[in-house]
Amino acid sequence: MLAVGGLTLTLPPGADRRFAAEAVDLAVGANEIVCIVGESGSGKSLTAHAVMGLLPHGVAATAGKILFEGEDLLKLPSVAMRRRRGRDIAMIFQDPMAALNPVMPVGRQIAEQILAHEAMPDGKLRKRVAGLLEQMGLADAANLARAYPHQLSGGQRQRVMIAMALSLGPKLLIADEPTTALDVTTQAQILKLIRRLQAERRMSVLFITHDIGLVAELGDRVVVMRHGKVVEQGPARALLEAPSHPYTRELIAAIPRGQAVPPPPDGAPLMQASGLCKRYRRAGFFAPRGETALDDVALVLNRGETLGIVGESGSGKSTLARCIVRLLDPDAGRIIFDGQELGRLKGRALRDTRRRIQMVFQDPYSSLNPRHRVGAILTAGPRAHGEGAAEAQARAAEMIQLVGLPPEALARFAHEFSGGQRQRIGLARALMLKPDLLIADEPLSALDMTVQAQMLALLDDVRRKMNLAMLFITHDMRVAAQICHRVMVMRRGRVVESGPTRALFEAPRDDYTRALLAAIPGRVSLPS
Amino acid sequence: MSFLRAFFARPQTLAGFCIFSAIAIIALAAPLLFPRGPFTIVGMPLLPPGASGFAAGSDVLGRDMAAELAFGARISLLVGIASTIVSIGAGGVLGAVAGYHGGLVDDLLMRVTEFFQIIPSFVLVMVLVAFLQPSLASTVLGIALITWPQVARVVRGEFLALRQREFVAAARMQGLGAGRIIFGEILPNALGPIIVIATMVVGNAILTESALSFLGLGDPNLMSWGSMVGGSRSSMWVAWWTMVLPGLCIMVTVLALNFIGDGLNDALNPRRGR
Amino acid sequence: MRRLRYILSRLVKAGLVTVAVVLLSFFLIRLAPGDAATVMAGQAGYADEAYMKGLRAEYGLDQPLPAQLWKYLTAVAHGDLGTSYGRGQKVLAVILERLPNTLLLDAFALAVAMGGGIWLGALAARRPGSAGDAAVSLASMLFYAMPQFWLGMMLVLVFSAWLGWLPPFGIETLGADYAGLRRVADIAQHMILPGMTLALYYLANYARLTRVAMIETAGEDYVKTARAKGLSERQVARRHILRNAMIPLISYAGLQASILVGGSVVVENVFSWPGLGTLAYQAVGARDNPLLLGIFIVTALLVCLFNLLTDIAYSIADPRVELT
Repeated sequence: MLAVGGLTLTLPPGADRRFAAEAVDLAVGANEIVCIVGESGSGKSLTAHAVMGLLPHGVAATAGKILFEGEDLLKLPSVAMRRRRGRDIAMIFQDPMAALNPVMPVGRQIAEQILAHEAMPDGKLRKRVAGLLEQMGLADAANLARAYPHQLSGGQRQRVMIAMALSLGPKLLIADEPTTALDVTTQAQILKLIRRLQAERRMSVLFITHDIGLVAELGDRVVVMRHGKVVEQGPARALLEAPSHPYTRELIAAIPRGQAVPPPPDGAPLMQASGLCKRYRRAGFFAPRGETALDDVALVLNRGETLGIVGESGSGKSTLARCIVRLLDPDAGRIIFDGQELGRLKGRALRDTRRRIQMVFQDPYSSLNPRHRVGAILTAGPRAHGEGAAEAQARAAEMIQLVGLPPEALARFAHEFSGGQRQRIGLARALMLKPDLLIADEPLSALDMTVQAQMLALLDDVRRKMNLAMLFITHDMRVAAQICHRVMVMRRGRVVESGPTRALFEAPRDDYTRALLAAIPGRVSLPS
Repeated sequence: MSFLRAFFARPQTLAGFCIFSAIAIIALAAPLLFPRGPFTIVGMPLLPPGASGFAAGSDVLGRDMAAELAFGARISLLVGIASTIVSIGAGGVLGAVAGYHGGLVDDLLMRVTEFFQIIPSFVLVMVLVAFLQPSLASTVLGIALITWPQVARVVRGEFLALRQREFVAAARMQGLGAGRIIFGEILPNALGPIIVIATMVVGNAILTESALSFLGLGDPNLMSWGSMVGGSRSSMWVAWWTMVLPGLCIMVTVLALNFIGDGLNDALNPRRGR
Repeated sequence: MRRLRYILSRLVKAGLVTVAVVLLSFFLIRLAPGDAATVMAGQAGYADEAYMKGLRAEYGLDQPLPAQLWKYLTAVAHGDLGTSYGRGQKVLAVILERLPNTLLLDAFALAVAMGGGIWLGALAARRPGSAGDAAVSLASMLFYAMPQFWLGMMLVLVFSAWLGWLPPFGIETLGADYAGLRRVADIAQHMILPGMTLALYYLANYARLTRVAMIETAGEDYVKTARAKGLSERQVARRHILRNAMIPLISYAGLQASILVGGSVVVENVFSWPGLGTLAYQAVGARDNPLLLGIFIVTALLVCLFNLLTDIAYSIADPRVELT
């Protein structure tokens, strides 16, 4: 069906590397799913764009060929290529909110695709669109077709995109990380949908992803890319069980596994929260109702223990973290930290208690002040608490090495570091105040998989060395399983279930927890 | 070093910088270059540029256009810079406080800025200057009064956006006080856009001052480019230079400021696109 | 239904703003040294103390300040904006006489600025970095930096003095007494220079904004999707890029309308255009407080109206926007 031979994509001058892809060979046969796996900068996405002829301005295919049903797409005149786009080859993208025109009803966008290639009277067109939406599992298709993208959920939007792509029955579907921007449970549903559609239509699918765990769910064959080159490819099962290239082995090893968690230590309770409630009020006089972020949440954290808080977007986990550190004040409820009630503290007492709870943030690109040097970032906190400049500087040098960065890093600015390195700096900053409790608010989501694994190991290591209690917030159950002694599952502001990790994984009591566990990609078929 | 390189990246910025510097130097040196001042009659009226040693010609009363232009530069730059300092000072502080604290202060500020947007601001400044008696001080105050709301809005926007950034949350957790956060964490990041806005504000102030003196509402004892254009309405039909040259000076000065602003934007806000 | 409630709340807000305008202007104008009676007496030629006392009584200037304010507010609520000092006519009548002239000029300027600016901006965006693009950018910067009065006078110099194509001032040829179509043509001719003067500054801004908006929109993901669907470049440009890039321009149009209504004093002065701006200038010179207050109020109300229309237009163009 599709055969890419020796494809080289050159980037414009001034880019951080010369080639986006170098001499890439890959093939997709009829009625098969091929996954391209790689981290950021691997060239997987641009290769897919090249097949569609949608390379961005400045990037050009300077060598090789892309054979689709025997025809070299690179040599086709643009009119002919346009005819193939949407009709024979279709593509869906990562973020359905950004990929759909925000001011056009979704039904019309699907209709546009159809009309681009065939003429069709209105009535027939509407029926066709409604039919497609139903096939994708969307209810109330007629009304949905009139909706705008922002009125739908993430999962619904992606289904619309898929409906649009498949409207003319293409032979090849290219999916560029279609589930990355979605919630875990939604991710599972979309994957199931794609599998079903592929089987029904006997379509070829080229599936791009950064998560090698997905490959086990979905792929017939796998292509592993790194820095623009194909590192290894072959049948999925064989490759996953016996990878030959060291990078592939690294990728597989980077998948968090929930096996190595010892039973929780019996420490004294460090923090207890009960009855926490928080509503976000909407601005304006006419909207007294707000959104409930937290509804009667309670938790207990012991010394030396890691508690994982798992939930999807809107579950309230971030709000909970911010209430604990008093960046937000809850509407109701109490938080008792080391015997003192946090809500009652003011002034000096609050400051002194505050230094004992520190946080590592989610977005490495937003959590470090771009105008300060790393040294200043690390020493600002201790100095605000009265520590001397020289002493703080010396400790900063120690701390930066503890997190795996050289002491020269102290003189540099944040933007000179990669995402993973920035997270390390953020961790160092939190540790400088010698906290008793470390809250990690989705510290891994912005990182590549191999970097995630390193960061996770570092966090665990630090926790043990400094005997910290840790509150680990994540949406990924696999990560929680790897590092947490106990896990608490949240949904829409309420605690759904909580308990020791092993017990929760092996015998979940709540349906939602079961759904979360079932949504873990590759859980069933990955070798452990 | 990298700042200078980024600043002068575009050729227009270099041109703008040189031109503005030249104008500033001429303005400062005007009393030395033209010791007789701009109001002295020194020759025949309405001489074209280049005639009898008058580089820019003479106006309807026989005064040296070049002297008038040089002294006019002093007024434009003085009013421009003074009113900008006042409006950025006032608007900046109010906008920063409103953006950081939000709540009632912010609401109040937004209502006030909306109010200033709704009333006809040029008419307002006319009224102010006329009723306070036209002078340098009233012009500066009037222009500052109608400009500070826009400045406050922009600064508020910047502080509001920066306040949400995670490094501010981190600073609060580290125990830094509000003052340290506003001045140490947020302000260095907000300064870039504020400086760029400042160049635009100076340009607008120069335009507004020239419009006021064109209408006869400027300080009658001072020579201003605007009043030169205003005074040329009868003579322009036969002596185009009496009208064209002062206006050209205004345009070139504001243009140079805009180019400098672009250059500053390149140097200070590298991630913001054009 | 939601829209209706929104409109009502905006009208209430407009009313409140107007009251604020009245209050502020009322006290602002009291700043003036010397009161209106002195000015009027000066105009009339009398300086007699008894005459001035009579004037003050007639205009209620001898009453305490709060009483004057209250009297004024109640009058405004009834649509009576007072009597102009200098002209002896009702303020509202004077304003309504001049308002259409200003609105006519503004409408022309808006149309030219939007039409020309968007077209040029779209053109420049299609080939970023080309000579045409650089020319549009340069022209934009020049018009942005030019004082409007100077631009007006330059246009007069070129098109009236040197080329003799267009009349240099006024709204119609004096004493010619045209009627019907001939009159319309005459007014149109007179409108071109002042209209273009107003328009060119905003045209430059529209061009710049359109260019930036189109370039940014062209990089959005949904444009990529549109191409992936197999649409032609033209369809993509029209239905996806332009349609979305226009949205921010709507706010700018509203802003332009608001500024024009209140601020074309200078241009009207250059061309002796008998509109609201000239009226304001004369009122300032004559210390005609009621007239000034009246102009402030009418302008503020118009601006509130334009803001409301802009917001409604915006919410129609962009379904993501919620009217709160």
